[in-house]
Amino acid sequence: MPESGTRPLPFPARVALQCLVLGGFAAFIGVFSAKPAYPLRGENDAIVKLSFTHAAQLQHPCRERNAEELKKLAPNMRTQLDCPRQRAVVRFEMEMDGKPAYRLELPPGGLRKDGPATVYRRAMVAAGTHRIAARLSDKPSGEFNHSKEAVVDLKPGQVLLVDFIPAEGGFIFTKE
Amino acid sequence: MATPCLRSRADRVIDAAIARAFAAPYNPWRQLGALTSLALAITVASGIVAYALYDTSISGAYQSGLRLQNDPSYFGVLLRGLHRYGADAFMLLMILHLLREFLRSHYRGPRWYSWLSGVPLIWLGWLAGLTGLWLLWDSRALHSVMATAEWLQALPLVDEGLVRNFLASGALNDRFFSLVMFLHIGVPLFLIGGLWAHLQRIHLPAVWPRRAAGVGLLLTLGVVSLLAPAQSLGMADPHFVPKAISLDWFFQLPHVLTDSLSGAGTWAVAGGLTLLCASLPWLDRGRRKPAPARVELIHCNGCSRCAADCPFGAIRMVPRTDGGMHAQQAAVDDELCVACGICVGACPSSTPFRRIEDLVSGIELPEQPIGRLRQTLREVLKSRAPGSMVLVCRCRHSPGGSQAPDPSMLSIEVECLGMLPPSFLDFALRQGLAGAVLAGCEGGNCEFRLGDRWTLDRIAGRRAPRLRRNVARERIISLARQDDEASIRNAVDELLRHPMHDQPGDAR
Ligand code: HEM
Ligand code: SF4
Ligand code: SF4
Repeated sequence: MPESGTRPLPFPARVALQCLVLGGFAAFIGVFSAKPAYPLRGENDAIVKLSFTHAAQLQHPCRERNAEELKKLAPNMRTQLDCPRQRAVVRFEMEMDGKPAYRLELPPGGLRKDGPATVYRRAMVAAGTHRIAARLSDKPSGEFNHSKEAVVDLKPGQVLLVDFIPAEGGFIFTKE
Repeated sequence: MATPCLRSRADRVIDAAIARAFAAPYNPWRQLGALTSLALAITVASGIVAYALYDTSISGAYQSGLRLQNDPSYFGVLLRGLHRYGADAFMLLMILHLLREFLRSHYRGPRWYSWLSGVPLIWLGWLAGLTGLWLLWDSRALHSVMATAEWLQALPLVDEGLVRNFLASGALNDRFFSLVMFLHIGVPLFLIGGLWAHLQRIHLPAVWPRRAAGVGLLLTLGVVSLLAPAQSLGMADPHFVPKAISLDWFFQLPHVLTDSLSGAGTWAVAGGLTLLCASLPWLDRGRRKPAPARVELIHCNGCSRCAADCPFGAIRMVPRTDGGMHAQQAAVDDELCVACGICVGACPSSTPFRRIEDLVSGIELPEQPIGRLRQTLREVLKSRAPGSMVLVCRCRHSPGGSQAPDPSMLSIEVECLGMLPPSFLDFALRQGLAGAVLAGCEGGNCEFRLGDRWTLDRIAGRRAPRLRRNVARERIISLARQDDEASIRNAVDELLRHPMHDQPGDAR
C-alpha cells in the first residue's frame, strides 16, 4: 500500500532542523536551569532580619475564687485559683540610627491566645555602621521591660539577626 | 468536517513544523507523555546512583555535591548533569505534554480522568525537584528553603516561626536533612504511583518513546551535562546574602513570585492555576457528547476484537446474557467511550459482504451506522461506470481544506480511519471503484491514539480483521494528512490514470 504524508525535508536540511529542535531543547534546559541570575540585594545592601517567638506574661493575674463561684463549677474543676490562660500582647519597637524602623504589636498565638507571639521581618539597609535600639514589652501594662542598644558594622551582604531569647539574656544581635 | 479552533490549529502548526524534521514515528511532539516518563526514569536512575555517593549530614551534603562536580573522570559530572537536567527536562516535557493535550482539548468527555489525574503530577514533580535542590545545601538551597518557608508561612495554620529554623548557623540540624531526604525519595514514589493512576484509562499506553527518540533525549541530556556542568554555589551561610543567585527556574520560579507578590499572592496564583486546570473539563465541555458505541447482541459473536482494539479500554467481555451459543459478549462502559468507532472497524460483523438486507454490526456508533456506509456505496455505484471513481475516506478529526463536490471522488467521512472495516476496501474495489484513498491523522498523531496503527496493521494483514490477502494493495493509498487537498487530488488522479489489471467482473 503506498503511503504518503508530510514529507520530511531533504537530508541535510532535515538534520539541520533536527539539530535545531534538539539544540533548542538542550539550550532551554541548560540556560533556565541556572540563568538568569536573580538579584537578591543591591550592590551596597546589608540585611536586617527580625525574628523571635516569645510567650508574654499572662494578661490577667491569677485570683482566688470565692465560695459561690466554686460551687458553680463541676466538682473536679474546683480549684481555688482562677488563672485565665490568655497572654499579653508583645509590643516591640526598633529604631535604626534614631529613626523608627518597626513598631509592632504582636498578639499571642494559639486559639486560646495562650501561645507565644511570633514575628519574622526582613529588610535591606545600606551597608556600614548603624546604631540599633530595640525594646520589648511582654507585660499586660505594655511597659517596656527589655531593651538593647548596639552599634553594628555591616558589610555588603551581611545579615544581622535580631532575636529575643529571655533565657539567654533578652535581645541578641548576631552577625555571624 | 469540524472547523479547527484556534488551539487545534496551533497544535497542527507546531506538529507540522516538527514533522519536517522528524519522520512520523520519531516526531517528539507526538510522544511527549512517553518522553516525560523517560525523563523521569533517567532522573530516578541517576538519583539512585548519586544517593550511594551522597552524605546526608549537613556538613557532608555540600561536600558530596562538590565531589561529584569535581570528579576528574567526568563520571560525577555526567551523573549530576543527568540527574539535574533530567529533572529540568521532566518539568519542561510535562508542561509541553499538558500544552499539547490542552491544544487538542483532551480534557473533554471521558478524558476528564486522564486530564485531572495529570494535575497532581505537576505538584509532585515540582516538589521532588525542589527538595533535590535543597540537598546540595549551597546558598541557592538556603535561599530556596527560606523562600519556601516564607511562602508556607502565608498559610493560616503555619506559624511565622518556621523560618527560624534556617536563620542562624547553629539552628539547623541533621534531622532537617533526613526530612528533606525523606521527601526527596518519598515524593517521586508518589509521583510514580500517580503516573500509574494517570494511565488507568489508557489501553496500551505509550509509556516509553520510540527507541530513537529516547536515545535522542538521553544524548541531549548528556551533552548539556558536559557542556554546562551542574554546579553547586557557595556553601549555605545564614549570615551572608549574595548579590544575585542562580536559580533553577523550572523549580524555583515560585520564590520570585513570593518575593514580588508576597506569599499569599503566590498561593493565589499557584492555587488559582491549579484549580483552573483541574476544573477545565467542566468549564469547557465542548459540543454535546456524541452517543457512545452500542453493542448489537444478535450480531456479536463474542470474539473480543473490539475490546482488544478500543484505545480507552471502554469494552469488557462479559458472560452472555441472551442465551446465545457464544460464551461471551462485548459490553461498553458509556463513561469511558469517546465514540471513535475503532471497535466498529474491528468487528467481524461489520463486513459489507454479509447478505442481510440492513447491515448491522456487532457494535455500532448510533450516529454513524455502518449500514449507511454500504448503502451510500451501493447507491453511488449504481449510476457510475466501473473504474471512474475513487473512494476517499476521510477522518472527521483531522480537519481538511475546502472540498468541492467532485464526480471522481466518492467521499465518505468516519470518526476515525480505524472505524472503516478493511472489508469495506475489498468491497469497494470489487464494486468497481478504481481505488481508495485514506486521509486521516499522520502516524502517531491519531486523535484516538491507536486508529492509525490498527488501520495500517489490518491492511497489512498484521492484525485482525485482516484485509483479504489478494486485494490489490497498490489500489489503496494511505494519505497521512487529509488537509492536504492537493495530494488527495493527485492520489485520486493517479488511481484513475492506471486502471486495474484484473477488472472486477462479477461483483455487481
Ligand atoms: C508525570 C508527568 C506525566 C507523565 C509521565 C505523563 C504521561 C502520559 C502518558 C505516557 C500518556 C499516554 C499517551 C498515549 O499512550 O497516548 C498520557 C496521556 C495523557 N496525559 Fe499525561 N503525563 C503526565 C502529566 C500530565 C499532565 C500534567 C496532564 C494535564 C493536566 C496530562 C494529561 C494527559 C491526557 C489528557 C492524556 C490522555 C491523552 C489521550 O486521551 O489521548 N498528563 N500521559
Ligand atoms: S467507540 Fe472507541 S472508545 Fe468507544 S468503545 Fe468503541 S473503540 Fe472504545
Ligand atoms: S468485535 Fe464485534 S463480534 Fe467481536 S466481541 Fe466485539 S462486538 Fe462482538
